[in-house]
Amino acid sequence: MEFAKYILKRCLQTIPLLIIVSIISFFIIRLAPIDPLAELRLNPSISQETLNKEIKRLNLDKPIYIQYFSWAKSFIKGDLGYTSAGEKVSTKLKERIPNTLLLTVIVIFMTWIVGIPLGIFAAIKKGTVFDRILTVISSIGMAIPSFFFAILMLMFAVKTGWFPVGGLTSYNYNEMSFIGKLIDLSRHLCLPVIVLFTISLSGLQRQMRANMLEVLDSDYIKFARAKGLSEAKVIYKHALRNAINPMITLLGFEFAGLLSGAALTEYVFQYPGLGRLILEAVMKSDINLVMASLMMGTIMLILGNLIADILLMITDPRVRKTSAEVQ
Amino acid sequence: MKRVLGLILIFLFVVLAAKSCLKADIPEKCSCIYLQDNNESVEYPAPSKNVTINGIDYIQTQAPIGNFGGELIISTIGEGPKTFNPCNTKDATSSSMAGLMYDGLLSTEPRTGDVIPQLAKSFEINGNEYTIHLRKGIKWSDGKPITADDVMYTYNDIVFKGLGNPSTMDAMMIDGKLPELEKIDDFTVKFIVTKPFAPFLRQLSYPIVPKHYFKPYSDKGTSAFNTFLNPNTKPETIVTNGAFRLKEYVAAQRVVFVKNPNYYKINLQNQKLPYLDKLVYLIVGDTNNEILKFEAKETDILSLKGDNVARYKQKEKFSDYSVYNLGADTGTLFIVINLNNRKDKDGKYYVNPIKQTWFSNRSFRSALDWAIDRKGIVQNIAFGVAEPLFTAESLNSIYLNKSIKGHKMDKQMALMRLKEGGFKLNNGNLYDNKGNRVEFDIYTNAGNLEREAIGVMVKQDLEDLGMKVNFKPVEFNSLVNKLTNTHDWDMAIMGLTGSPLEPHDGKNVWTSSGSLHMFNMRPAGYKIDDRLSWEKELDDIFNEASLKLNYSERKPLYDRYQEIVYNEKPLIYLYSPIRITAIRKKFKNIFPTPLSGLLYNLEEIYIGK
Repeated sequence: MEFAKYILKRCLQTIPLLIIVSIISFFIIRLAPIDPLAELRLNPSISQETLNKEIKRLNLDKPIYIQYFSWAKSFIKGDLGYTSAGEKVSTKLKERIPNTLLLTVIVIFMTWIVGIPLGIFAAIKKGTVFDRILTVISSIGMAIPSFFFAILMLMFAVKTGWFPVGGLTSYNYNEMSFIGKLIDLSRHLCLPVIVLFTISLSGLQRQMRANMLEVLDSDYIKFARAKGLSEAKVIYKHALRNAINPMITLLGFEFAGLLSGAALTEYVFQYPGLGRLILEAVMKSDINLVMASLMMGTIMLILGNLIADILLMITDPRVRKTSAEVQ
Repeated sequence: MKRVLGLILIFLFVVLAAKSCLKADIPEKCSCIYLQDNNESVEYPAPSKNVTINGIDYIQTQAPIGNFGGELIISTIGEGPKTFNPCNTKDATSSSMAGLMYDGLLSTEPRTGDVIPQLAKSFEINGNEYTIHLRKGIKWSDGKPITADDVMYTYNDIVFKGLGNPSTMDAMMIDGKLPELEKIDDFTVKFIVTKPFAPFLRQLSYPIVPKHYFKPYSDKGTSAFNTFLNPNTKPETIVTNGAFRLKEYVAAQRVVFVKNPNYYKINLQNQKLPYLDKLVYLIVGDTNNEILKFEAKETDILSLKGDNVARYKQKEKFSDYSVYNLGADTGTLFIVINLNNRKDKDGKYYVNPIKQTWFSNRSFRSALDWAIDRKGIVQNIAFGVAEPLFTAESLNSIYLNKSIKGHKMDKQMALMRLKEGGFKLNNGNLYDNKGNRVEFDIYTNAGNLEREAIGVMVKQDLEDLGMKVNFKPVEFNSLVNKLTNTHDWDMAIMGLTGSPLEPHDGKNVWTSSGSLHMFNMRPAGYKIDDRLSWEKELDDIFNEASLKLNYSERKPLYDRYQEIVYNEKPLIYLYSPIRITAIRKKFKNIFPTPLSGLLYNLEEIYIGK
């Protein structure tokens, strides 16, 4: 009961947040001096009537607050509207979401499977050669910008010919056998996954190491050791449980990044995901598409935080208690 | 000890990394190589013929016989097609793809630019009547015959109703009246226009669509028609008459076309074309990716720009591609001067009156023209891959006025012109006859590196004359806003794409009431006649030339218009880029022309053994 009340409350709190975010982003996009029709205006063979029709269709002749209200009205009804090229925003997003999810889910899964144990290990073996090598590698991973790394990888693909240059599937994908399709997909996914994996692994590994070190330094661990518990029990039963809490918050953020976290890498690799779609939409001030993606990002972020909080409540009795008190 | 070892390792790593970066990719010698016109060596086949076999009117190409099979992979920059509905295309990618799938009645001869029959077998012009004879026995991709009903439907129900993209309707409108269309029999139709109008004939290249497939959608009105044949349509349901039909569309990745087995073109052995089984368009986001894909042999064709040309040309001998020079393209770059002398709503001049007197002074504009070093701009900015331009028509236009030769840069000449115009040099600074320092702004769109570089060079050239030039790159949209709405600008470096076949398409730029009459833009619905004498002459020329049907009658008029623009210089033309394209050598029957490019004859292209 407490639980349901808490979730309901959190959901209600998101409504004003969504309204504020939508107002700010709508006005920023619309007030930017980008005219979605600039290209048409400079085309000698476009007549004034055609231009006027386009202005009407895109609602550009109305004041900005009316534009906002008409957008908000249809958004609440679940209608995301049409892109400036006249396609449905929802179908455009639907085409791209699975591709982006495929990439980000693989990356997140791999990072967590590899990053958490590595972090724990580095903390236990603090100061050894293993820890130092890991530190160097993760420093490189954190320092290198994702787009630069992606470009390096692309050059690698071009020079060696071992990997395809960007994209998600080969042009004859549909004629391949199931195994062939699988191989083709993984060959295309390999480079973007390496880039994203290296970069997010470093952060996660460092974070886990730091948490673990902090906990290992605390009194109750010393006490556990003094009590004569085996080292495995000390680490996995006492230290790890306490060190994992901040990671759960991080997982919430990772959830928010599921749909938008890989935009730059996607762009460099010409990956047919959401990032590329949205970047192109922003350049052309394609308001409905940009707004839809921004709202999606906001909702994902709020949802991610909510999930993290709930998970925390489950794992950590202290949080449960304080949030109950707050209520 | 360990630390020393670590330091040595790091040092070695840095040295190795530096070494691998040093690898010479581009020779340091002259990067501007001489581009030979290899089109001279191309032997063009004879024009296609009409051949009737078993009562079916085919087009027989006279190109050498090739092998069937294989695929051609092309890259297309951007987001890919927005629609496959040939009547509703608004962007270049969509219309070129819809163009593969749907043919029109008439088409353009790729070398001469003459109008030739395509889906039509022949056509006759008799005064205001255009009679079109259709091919008998040819079929849609679903096996249904193509008849006069489809033509009647396409024009009466789609074009004349303004469904989809209404630009063809606009272009066919003569004095506000649409032509009449009559069906003579199942394979003959007749267009009747109200008065002779030259641009009309080329409009008959509008794609003909199948009535039995389109009608249910066009009957539902505009919004249903606009979503009809959107990219997510099931490919196998689409009925076409072009050389290729859609096989697959994957958003942001590719569009795959396969050959249409019912296509009506045959080769010299009477086998049905096209030769290629498949045509693949890879959708890529930017030029860099396009180049990488070509280098990785994922695509077969690449259009080259700027500094890449020299590199590819040098590597050509050791590679599997040929580089073709397609000549100057239809794009033109120019400086436009604001001759606007009107006031805005608040009674304020759009252009400072002092500047107005300079800009309206022909000697001043002419001095600018003489002072600009086009050759230097071409060499330094376009890497020699461009041609200096002096005419309003692009260099590949069939109406190009060849007697306008242009001139070299000549500073003395420019100074002389300024003197004629009453300007004086004082301490290297230029003043007008009232003692005002000559200073103005040149705008261009920020982000376009080419135009920004031109701006810098032009500024240098003009400051050599003692002018003070403020070069201001601004965001593209605000530049367009300045040019078309607020009019508060002095000069701008801009580019436009013209039509090499029909100068009348430029009427929005050149006629005084046009919506792109940038150099002297009048507000919409402007009633006062304040045209300059040469503006008036341009209006008359465009009106008169559109009423003449013969090339030989129109040519002198359009020659005169280019002469006027050259003499009056409201726009100072700079250069046209040259198109250079690399294509893998295995593809045969490549006959590049300046007018139509490289891939206009896709159905004839085959893969050599």
